Amino acid sequence: MTTLESTSKSFEVFHRIQPHEYLRRFLEHNLRPDGRLLERFRKTLITTGSISTANTSAMVRLGGTTVVCGIKAEVCEPHVERPDQGYLVPNVELSPMCSPKFRAGPPPEKAQVTSEFIHELFTNSNIFPLESLCIEQGKAVWVLYADIVCLNYDGNILDASLLALTAALSKLSLPKAEVSESMVVEADVSNKTQVFQMNRIPIASTFCVFQEPHALLSDPNEAEESLTKETITVVMDTNGQVCHVYKNGGNSIDSSVLRTCFERGLERTKEMAELIQQA
Amino acid sequence: MSRLELLTPEGLRIDGRRANELRRITAKTSVFSQADGSAYIEQGNTKCLAAVYGPREARYRQQLQSDRALLNVEFNVAPFSTSERKKRSKNDKRSLEMATFIRQTFEPVILTKQLPKSQIDIYLQIFQHDGGVLQCCINAATMALIDAGIPMIDYVCACSAGCIDKVPVLDLNNLEESSDTPELTVAILPRTGKVNLVEMESRLHIEKLESVTELASQGCMQVHKVLDSVIRENTEYLRDRLNT
Repeated sequence: MTTLESTSKSFEVFHRIQPHEYLRRFLEHNLRPDGRLLERFRKTLITTGSISTANTSAMVRLGGTTVVCGIKAEVCEPHVERPDQGYLVPNVELSPMCSPKFRAGPPPEKAQVTSEFIHELFTNSNIFPLESLCIEQGKAVWVLYADIVCLNYDGNILDASLLALTAALSKLSLPKAEVSESMVVEADVSNKTQVFQMNRIPIASTFCVFQEPHALLSDPNEAEESLTKETITVVMDTNGQVCHVYKNGGNSIDSSVLRTCFERGLERTKEMAELIQQA
Repeated sequence: MSRLELLTPEGLRIDGRRANELRRITAKTSVFSQADGSAYIEQGNTKCLAAVYGPREARYRQQLQSDRALLNVEFNVAPFSTSERKKRSKNDKRSLEMATFIRQTFEPVILTKQLPKSQIDIYLQIFQHDGGVLQCCINAATMALIDAGIPMIDYVCACSAGCIDKVPVLDLNNLEESSDTPELTVAILPRTGKVNLVEMESRLHIEKLESVTELASQGCMQVHKVLDSVIRENTEYLRDRLNT
């Protein structure tokens, strides 16, 4: 005897008062509140080259989560112990603009964690040799400042940020530079080297785990992310090799769950690598 | 080194425009799901994004005003937006100054008395800096506020104008701005033609002031036409969706 309007209002009220129970009811039927199947990733759109002041840029829309990555290349002196290696400096910005969750002030924890994750990934997993950023050993190297700005936060910032960074790097071409006798670096913007080469294309896939009923959700949105106790992130490349695995605390999981993550991650990696190619 | 010819004898500027031509404006609203209202504006190569949250609970209880809403503006420039990377903190003087201008522009226009004890946040982000940043921000903020459904007296449309070789020119880009051209930004309420904001930091001869201001106001009316058509289109689309 309830009208349609009051039924939908009572759903919303239920969602607010009992978010855990609300989600559980959906999971029992192997569905999620936004209508996706458990293993489905959200619709992904990649556009590159929209910002002309940056050396290269990419914008990624992962469902509602929107991030823009702009890469600017500058020259600096290399580290004394690593005279032929350049730097990649990722910086993820989560401002109050992208979600009411974030407050003005120092960068939120999530932004710092994501920046550090990306930095570690590129330092340790041989994505591209830092030697390719060398202009002249011991004197000048390229520094790639990758600024990743989140415009709208709807969960899973890690996947989106890495995707934007990878897409932008795949379209990067650095100008030819040389060090003159007077220790001035001359870079000719019109004379570009070939497109920047990466050894591997890393694609991240994030999953969150729920215990009752037991479910593994791919690509959690903000609502699901706030309800879960554990997330697993798997970074793989197009050859099926694993670059990085991350599982934060929470409950312990079965190894079969981890295997499912790898399988889904591999599928996702192949899809995304193709999307980057087309962008 | 010869000076760049900003205005050729035929009346063409560096990017091929005439003295009284605006750059092409592309505007979109409702681009984000989290913000109550959002808008994205491209004016030539300057790209600006505005997100409005509100009215919502005030962040600091002490700042609550019992008879009106509090308006808070934050202005942020992305590090890759200028040709030289500059990581500007949100609290540096230039950004705070911009934010204050924009706040003072909108305070009398928004009907704050209708929303007591609440806070309205406007967040502005610049992705590409090619001159005319203040005018772009004001236009984007207007669209976002309308998109959020916050009651206002009228649109606020802004436009910049300058004077090159004694000729008044409309809508300066970055190259023209940085070459010592006097630049004046005007924000008006299109229905009444009343001026809300006038901003100029350079030197302009008083005889030229009237013609430059007049040109900027005309530019504002042109901007208003573009913004209004986008809002009307979106509203019609929403209305059609509701009716089906």
